[in-house]
Parts: sequence; structure tokens; C-alpha cells
Amino acid sequence: MSDRKTERLINLTLALLSTKRYLKKSQILENVFGYEGSQEAKERMFERDKDDLRSLGIEIEVGDLDNFFEDEPGYRIPQKSYELVVPDLTPREMAIISIAANLWNDTAFAPDAQGGIRKLQSLGVPTTLDLDIKLKYRFENPAILLEIVTKAISSRSTISFSYDSQSLKERRVNPYKILFWNGFWYLIGFDLDRNEIRLFKLSRFVSTVTIAKKRSSYEIPEDFEAKTYLSQSEFDLKRISKIAITKDAALILRSRGKYLEEKDGYDIYEIAYNNESIFIREIIWHGDSVKILEPTSLAESLIATLEGSPR
Amino acid sequence: MSESALERTSRALDLVPYLLEHQGISITELAEVFGVSENQINEDLILIHMCGLPGYTPLELIDMYYEDGYVTVSEPQSLHSPRRMNRHEMAAILVGLDLLKSIRSGDLEIEISNLQAKLLSNIKIENPFVVVHQELTNDFLQIIESAIAKSTPLKIEYVSANKDEKSERNILPLELYVQNRMNYLIAWCDKAQADRTFRLDRILKCELLAGVEIRSKNHQGLVEQIAPSTKLLVHSSARNFIEENQAIISEISKIGESFEVKLSQIEEEWLIRTALGYGPGIEVIAPARVATEILKRKGAILSRYT
Repeated sequence: MSDRKTERLINLTLALLSTKRYLKKSQILENVFGYEGSQEAKERMFERDKDDLRSLGIEIEVGDLDNFFEDEPGYRIPQKSYELVVPDLTPREMAIISIAANLWNDTAFAPDAQGGIRKLQSLGVPTTLDLDIKLKYRFENPAILLEIVTKAISSRSTISFSYDSQSLKERRVNPYKILFWNGFWYLIGFDLDRNEIRLFKLSRFVSTVTIAKKRSSYEIPEDFEAKTYLSQSEFDLKRISKIAITKDAALILRSRGKYLEEKDGYDIYEIAYNNESIFIREIIWHGDSVKILEPTSLAESLIATLEGSPR
Repeated sequence: MSESALERTSRALDLVPYLLEHQGISITELAEVFGVSENQINEDLILIHMCGLPGYTPLELIDMYYEDGYVTVSEPQSLHSPRRMNRHEMAAILVGLDLLKSIRSGDLEIEISNLQAKLLSNIKIENPFVVVHQELTNDFLQIIESAIAKSTPLKIEYVSANKDEKSERNILPLELYVQNRMNYLIAWCDKAQADRTFRLDRILKCELLAGVEIRSKNHQGLVEQIAPSTKLLVHSSARNFIEENQAIISEISKIGESFEVKLSQIEEEWLIRTALGYGPGIEVIAPARVATEILKRKGAILSRYT
């Protein structure tokens, strides 16, 4: 059964691809191998096949009515919309793409990445490996969520899910983009209950995601720029601290700071940081051999972190 | 495993153009490239062989030979070009390139951006992903990469974070990876006579080691001191700890708003220093001596601010 249907779908694709003119439905049902049974059964089969091919991303063009076809529509697959075209792809670029695709090895993205590579390798451009990068990317991998959320984005459907923030809450969101940032995946979208654009960490989704049936229920603003919604403090703000370090201690901190002077038996360093809570953990890591001198607010945050009082 | 007719159709449409550019490829290799069994590839080829254009005389069928497990296509009919990439394939390639760009900014950045523009030039596809630039570059990345490629040993000066000590080591680099915004290197360490993981930002000096041969012996564990049956209570304020250390969490269960977490092999010193950074967000339940040590060090730190 699966064989016959597969064969028919391939034959239909071949026929629609090879024709320059639109093929009438009656021509297709008569000539393409695999359409059997009553006229009604054949037509139903053809309708399903068209939908199936479209679900594979194949564009089937429906011809305008003209004199020749009278009232019957015609079909074809334009070569231009079917085939992969990448202009002037070089062997070196092929190598770069392979490296990029192989970053996904051992992850749930691997089959898609390999599918993409196979198609590119069918373009006839050889790969030269004059650069040899053996690098792996290890990251948390909520593959099922990624799949569902990308689907919702492409159909512009509202999603709902249970999210673990201060407390468990049910969220309804119009998803805009998926962000990959510092090794974590985030959803950015319009939160329908809070009435504003919000960021959600995929690892804090507790339930699976439900996609609303309705499609095209929102639009993503044209000037939407995901990066502007990342909190400034965590993104590109560089701040400067002054730290006192005990002799011969905290070698790692020293290696990324600037030595200023010696004072009261301590070495004073200037160290830049951007994320406050990560930096505080780094300072605490070095125990009592390190003390924050400036800014005082940073020192206060460190004390609050250790004592657990709310900031 | 039964496969839908759609999946098979999709693969068949990709097989023909792939074969056209890889004439004489073996069934074994095809099976590997397409991620299915050799049997499946054989069945696909038999099926494709029966397909063609209306008329379906031998002249209108897809024509191929296979001999002793090798395949050649002589007449692909209208399947001479690969299909467009679908949304997921495109996203995997584009995001992969973005990641590569963020790891290797500088030398490859412009080249990769041009390449991404080329891939998108003929396709109207919406990329749902945004990769935020991560600044993961490191001065020694290139020298390490070429050392891995050529199996050349390196001499490094490395700071051990747990012991707060500098040491010189001769290593044979094996594999680079990125995790939680950090670059790591797995290498055979001549000093330890075992595989070790190094964080790139803790390598202070790195040079090629000429004229010295280092061989990696049978791999031993990566862990120096093992703390068995470590149990923590992680409160929601320290949730990052769970997210960033999934690799070493052996068991996790939810208790109210908090998580009880059991850790596999870790160094005690690492646990003390890390847990301390989360304050009361992490409570060490076992071993008790770790909990005591954390309390002691917390007092020592706080006393410097009074």
C-alpha cells in the first residue's frame, strides 16, 4: 500500500516537474501511473496527493483559466520553485557548511542538519577541507519544544504552556522568535495575559506546548528586533569593579584583570564584568582571598547572596 | 518500523539527485548518508526504478544500474536537481553557521555572513531562530585546532581553579567543545597520565611542542576525587545550577518549590566553591563535612566585609 502511494507521488512529481504547460486534471488522471478506480475515487486521490506534496514543501502552481483550458484548472511544479539554488557556492563554503551541520551531531537537530547537507551535496560542488575544525557543541536540548514552537511561529498560532517562574503559571503567548543565547534556548513572544513582549526560557516549560487551532491569529511587527528585549545588564553592559586579592591567590581572576597597585599587603586589581550574579559567584568561588572594594553596591549584593536576604 | 509514504517519497526525491552527483556510490555509504538501513535503500531503489514520466516506456523511466552493491544513475528524468531545503533543514544549517560564527569570530565571520546571505538569496523562508553573539573566542583556539588536526602535542600553562595553582603541562589535545558559554578542551595530560578536561579561559600560555612525542594511553576517568552519594536541596533561586549542570545530575525530584538533586562523580572542592556562590539557594544535605566546610568559608568571607 505504502509502495503504491509512494510510487504514485513520485510519478506525479515527475510529471508536474517536466511539463512547461499546465496539465489538466483529466490529463493527469488519465496519464500519470497509479490513478485507479472510479472517476470519483481518482479525483479524491489526486486531491490528497496534491496536499501531501505541498506538505513536503513542494509548490504546485494552479494555472489561470484561459481559453485553452476553458473551465478546467491546470497544474505544474515550476522548476524554479522546486530546486535548490545557491549561487556561486565554493568548495571552501561547502566545507564550512559541513562543519556547521556537524555541530549538531548527537543532538535532535542532527537529522535536519544532515538533510540540508545532503541536498547541498547534490549541487555538484566538491568539498575542500583546507580548514579542519573539530568542534562540538553541547547544550541543553529541548528538541520537542523547538519543533512545536517553530511550527506555531510559522502558522502564527497562539500557544499555551505551563511555565515555572516564581510560581507555576499557565501562559498564553503569541510566539515571535526562538533565541539561542549563552547555551540556552528562549522563546520571545507576546504574552497575552500581561499584554507585553516577554522572554521565556525553554528549560522552564513544565508542560508540553499546546498550539491553538486558529492560524494567522497575529502578526509579528515588522520592526521587531529580538535582541532589544534582552535585559541590558546581562547583554552588553560592561562594568568595572575594584578587587583586593591576597598574595598568590585567585590566579584566574588576576589573569583577566588589570593590576593597579599594592595596598595593605593586598594586590588591587580592576576587573570588568557584565552579569552581576555570575560575577558574584565567581568572586565567592575564590573564598576569603578576594574582597570587593568597588562598587559598594556589588559588595552589598555579594553579602546578600551569601546570607540569602532578598535584594 | 512502518514509515509513511510521504517520508519515503521525500527520501526518493532526494536520492536521485544525490546519486547523480555521487555516481558509483555503494549501498552501504548511501544507507549511512541517508540514515536508514541498506535494506531500505535497496527497496527505495527498486521503487524509484519503476517510476518515470507518462508513457512509462523504458525511455521514460528513471534509469539506473546497480552492480555488486554500487549504484549509478543514467537517466534521472526530471529529478536532476536537489529540492529546496525545508524550514527545519534551513534553520539547522543557518543556526549552525551562526554558532560557528560566534565561536570563531574574526577569521570566518565575514565569510560565514556572505554564505548565509547566499543560502537565503533564492528562498523565501522565515528563519524563526536568532542566535545572540556569544563572544566565545579565545586566543589559543586556532593553535589548539591545528594541534588536534595534526595530532601535535602542546605545552600549556594552566590554572587549576579548585587548587588555585598554576602548572605547566604537556598535553595531546583531542577534542574541543562548547558548553554553558565556555570553551573546553579534552586532552591527554602527560603529567596526570590520563585524559583531562581544560577550560580554555584558564589556559595562560599555549605553544606547540616540537620534537616531543606524547601518546594517549588507554583512557582513564576524568575525576580526581569522587564524592559519592552527594545530595543537595536546590531552591528556586538557584535554578541556574540545575540548568548548567545537567551532565552531573543523576537524580532529581521536586519537593514543593524546590528540587532534591543527587550528583554523580564530582570533586568535593568544586562543590564547596560552587554551592557557596548560591548562598542559601543550595543546601548540601550529604556529605555533612561539605555542609560544614561551606558554613565555615561563608563566615570567613563575610568577616572580610565587617
